[in-house]
Amino acid sequence: MPPLFQGLITIVIAVAGCAGYFYASNWVLDRLVFPPRTDDQGRNISRATMVRPWLFIFPAAFFLSLYLIYPVVGSFWRSLFNRSGEQFVGLGNYAQMFAEEGFRVAFFNNILWVIFVPAAATFMGLLVAQLTDRLKWGNIAKSLIFMPMAISFVGASLIWKFVYANDPDIGIINAVRDFFGMQPIDVLQIAFWNNFFIMFIMVWMQTGFAMVILSAALRGIPEETIEAAIIDGANPFQIFFKIKVPQITPTILVVWTTITILVLKVFDIVYAMTGGNFDTEILPSYMMDYMFRDDGRATAVAFVIMVIVTPVMVWNIVQARREMR
Amino acid sequence: MDNIAGKRSGLSIATNLSVIALVLIWLIPTVGLLVSSFREREQISESGWWRAAFSVSQAYRVSPSAEGAVQEGDLWVLEGNLFGDKEGSGSVSGFGLTSRDPGAADPGQTYARYEVFIMEDGEQDDTNLEIAYPADGEPEFPETDEDGNEILSDPAPVFDRSLMVQENGDFRYVDVDEIDRAPSVYITAPQPPEFTLDNYEQILTSDNMDQAFINTLTVAIPATIIPIVVAAFAAYALAWMDFAARGFMIAMVVGLLVVPLQIALVPLLTLHNAVGIGQSFLGVWLAHTAFGMPLAIYLLRNYMIGLPRDIIECAKVDGATDFQIFTKIVLPLSFPALASFAIFQFLWTWNDLLVAKVFLPSQSDYWVMTVKIADDLLGSRGGDWGILAAAAFVSIAVPLAVFFAMQKYLVRGLLAGSVK
Amino acid sequence: MKRALTASATTLGLLAGAAHAQDLYTPIGEGDYTWDGYQDFADATDLSGETVTITGPWTGNEKAKVDEVFRYFEEATGASVNYSGSDSFEQDIVISARSGSAPNLAVFPQPGLAADMASQGHLEPLPDGLGDWVAENYAAGDSLVSLGTYEGEDGEEDLYGMFYRIDVKSLVWYNPITFDEFGFDVPESMEELKELTEDMADEGLTPWCIGLGSGAATGWPATDWVEDMMLRLHEPEVYDQWVANEIPFDDPQVVEAIEEFGWYAKNDDFVAGGAENAATTDFRDSPAGLFTIPPECAMHRQASFIPAFFPDDAEQGENVDFFYLPSFEEADLGQPLLGAGTLFAITNPSEGASAMIEFLKLPIAHEIWMAQDAFLTAHLGVNNDLYANDALKQQAEILQEATTFRFDASDLMPAEIGAGAFWTGMVDYVTGAEAADVAADIQSRWDTLN
Repeated sequence: MPPLFQGLITIVIAVAGCAGYFYASNWVLDRLVFPPRTDDQGRNISRATMVRPWLFIFPAAFFLSLYLIYPVVGSFWRSLFNRSGEQFVGLGNYAQMFAEEGFRVAFFNNILWVIFVPAAATFMGLLVAQLTDRLKWGNIAKSLIFMPMAISFVGASLIWKFVYANDPDIGIINAVRDFFGMQPIDVLQIAFWNNFFIMFIMVWMQTGFAMVILSAALRGIPEETIEAAIIDGANPFQIFFKIKVPQITPTILVVWTTITILVLKVFDIVYAMTGGNFDTEILPSYMMDYMFRDDGRATAVAFVIMVIVTPVMVWNIVQARREMR
Repeated sequence: MDNIAGKRSGLSIATNLSVIALVLIWLIPTVGLLVSSFREREQISESGWWRAAFSVSQAYRVSPSAEGAVQEGDLWVLEGNLFGDKEGSGSVSGFGLTSRDPGAADPGQTYARYEVFIMEDGEQDDTNLEIAYPADGEPEFPETDEDGNEILSDPAPVFDRSLMVQENGDFRYVDVDEIDRAPSVYITAPQPPEFTLDNYEQILTSDNMDQAFINTLTVAIPATIIPIVVAAFAAYALAWMDFAARGFMIAMVVGLLVVPLQIALVPLLTLHNAVGIGQSFLGVWLAHTAFGMPLAIYLLRNYMIGLPRDIIECAKVDGATDFQIFTKIVLPLSFPALASFAIFQFLWTWNDLLVAKVFLPSQSDYWVMTVKIADDLLGSRGGDWGILAAAAFVSIAVPLAVFFAMQKYLVRGLLAGSVK
Repeated sequence: MKRALTASATTLGLLAGAAHAQDLYTPIGEGDYTWDGYQDFADATDLSGETVTITGPWTGNEKAKVDEVFRYFEEATGASVNYSGSDSFEQDIVISARSGSAPNLAVFPQPGLAADMASQGHLEPLPDGLGDWVAENYAAGDSLVSLGTYEGEDGEEDLYGMFYRIDVKSLVWYNPITFDEFGFDVPESMEELKELTEDMADEGLTPWCIGLGSGAATGWPATDWVEDMMLRLHEPEVYDQWVANEIPFDDPQVVEAIEEFGWYAKNDDFVAGGAENAATTDFRDSPAGLFTIPPECAMHRQASFIPAFFPDDAEQGENVDFFYLPSFEEADLGQPLLGAGTLFAITNPSEGASAMIEFLKLPIAHEIWMAQDAFLTAHLGVNNDLYANDALKQQAEILQEATTFRFDASDLMPAEIGAGAFWTGMVDYVTGAEAADVAADIQSRWDTLN
């Protein structure tokens, strides 16, 4: 049976199964477990009401706990064992890892990524959002800048590999250098700065996301505040920085953190651009070097990433709780 | 802002220009690769894609048959046309005798090799010197050779061989030795720009990209649909049903939104192996379903909670059960949110490399397009940009189409997911 | 070829029945093939009704070719051979051996895995005396025997693997037209090669095309270079110690080999596009520089598979040829050869499995594939004229003249080194790091494995 066909059958089974589960479990609850009989109708209905939410939530909760919560514990546990998983080594994997030059490089680069990419993407997004705000063809421009969002990281890497190619007849950067009489250069091999050429790919992809959200936020600013500033004689730059930016600061933070989280997940770009060579490794790609070989080390790296993400996670939860009140 | 008339026009021009510049920077890389995917492969390495519309000068080695060589005095002469008998099948822009300098002489000139005598470190030595001169002229020897050694006029340079080529390919080759085998001569000739679908044809027919395309589709479709169904129910419960742990559950979902995928890889693969799923499509579907779940619940809940309270209360009063309210009222009304999540999830699963690499077997029959490109093509076709470009566009065509067709929902989903 | 033999062999062909015979690749007993021993083998072996199962790494086109070989086994013994190839052979064989469902024979693409399985008791020692026979009848036979000899479950050393198909790696590809125009000759020794390299650079011709790029496997072509240099600088025993980590990776002898490679690769005048370019040029793209006009380079060191990636207009003997990467004249180490190859081993003993090993000793078992292209053997009894083309024949001659054969070290090292740290280390080295530092890093990575 071809896998695609298998996939379609799986869809049918899953959708029908889900619908069937919800329908049947509700039916069982209402008719058999707590039937609203006349003698204790009230009590049974309220009992059913207490149980029903759990029926609705159960499948999702099952997936979440098995596939996301259990692994956090599982990964940590696994990271305490050696490569074959047979011998308990405590924090040995972590100690060994932090002592290793390769890991330190990856860690340092990852800090670069976490600082530069969200900052640059948010800034570019804000810039584009503001510039296109009152432009006639603004929507077309936005749509084009938004486009890289649909491209895979691998596809984007390929697109930029082409730009960076170390051949003035292929790569446009070296073509420009060649035009000015400079030697071709492999930008992916320039120590330290090569990281920025790789990070720019991510900025290129995420600017659209930042732009869409910030553009909506800018539109949400009450007109009166801006008009008042104009009357006070503020120039456009003052309006932008002193009036608009402060009002959308919460949105900027959301964009910033969202991109930060993404940065900590993405290994594809480094993997496709340099394979981690030339000191461009970051933690997610460093982890993939060990995946399938030394699961103890791989899970230790994953857990380090998890630890880095945790503050963002807490902040997100706090924000969400505040909004619900 | 509109009433600061004086500054406005200047600012407006600046704004327009900077947006144009930004859009160009954003588009050029993609356009470059797109153009290249339609170019003839030899031309890609000869000239940049920005010159795709112009002809390319290429060098060729030609070995005209030695047949018909005749002796003229002390010399042997071979005449003919380098393009064979066909008239106008090419035009020569330069020619030469060595591969080092294939376009050393212009059409109509004579290009000759002499053995010249030089003074090197006070001693007489000999070396070869190639020199171009007009057909009716005589060679003028320079004072020094390329290394700066003096060229002697006595003993005089000795003729070795010469070549004269016309623009239409007619040539005259003269040699002091008998021409008994085909001589190698070099010409450069402009090639008109050539656009072709060959790259696409090759990638889709002989390079297994078709299989990878189907695999990607196989991964993406179930992985998009299944989580929606599961998440919709949970989202409804979290939006419209009262229960004690609701706040906690919502916080949990928000927290899980940011859990890095990496943490799940090893334990889940171990789990899949233990229960017999192993590395398979089923494993990928399950993984994608779970990884997409927090966002799905979050997006759908945020949308559902914004639905008018009256409708739902009324239905409750009329005796509708939660199940009925969900299927008959909430689900149809939530269509925009369902659509935006579906687009997200589809783009994510279609473009994913990590999950496919870990949860699918490593054999080539299971490669999705991202794996195919990253692990195979970037390796095996490293410098073959025609093929790489075509492969990239095969893989991004579908998401781009989805993107431009459904942009409205995508934007709406983004806003619902982030600004709240 | 002995003509007298043909008479009996032809009879055999007739007896075997026309229906089978006409399906064979070439009729039994005819042509330039070496039929010595085939008749005797057929007479001595009767396995009618038995099935011999074999798994190996050859799939598709290669499976079709090896199946042709097995047909002659079936013809001679009456057994049927069931060969299945798999892209994930290395995982499959381990799983099937552990679950007790192993085939009779397995064809290992490299000795490391075979050694592992032998130590776990999943392999059967080959018959006594086979080692001596291989040592005598194979080129660099002693090397091949020691590469097939492992410690068994009981700790005893035995011959477990018999080499069948060999790839040679110590080749330098060049464009004869370029050599001709510049007046260069093929070097006979490493000293001459270095001199040639310098002369070319003086003449303004870039000597080498080096490409280390290979996607996620970037760096591996450099490991072949270093291995070749190891074999040309030091005794083969040093190479074996290096592979087994009995001398550390940062031993001065290893560092010396890395630096010898660096002499070529880290000199901007010697490498097309400059040394920096080597690290990112794809290895499959790299040889294209031999064929451009003007030539981007004159020589390219790569294994025998590389012609598959030459441009369409490349023609062996015309604008491309190769020579053996020579050894130092003064080092007096003979003619060492770096290569790879596949070994047959018995995973599930049966009469048919032993007969198959016996069959592989016959030249004809090699010649049938030789004639079908893309196959080299170290068997000295074969008729070299049967090689499908001149390039293979020349490579066979290089193989047959080799005094030492060593297996690609990176395939023998643990995957984290041989398919990881060694690769990335070489990329670091080519792009600027010191050989000693790189070697020390690799060793420290190796230390974490023990």
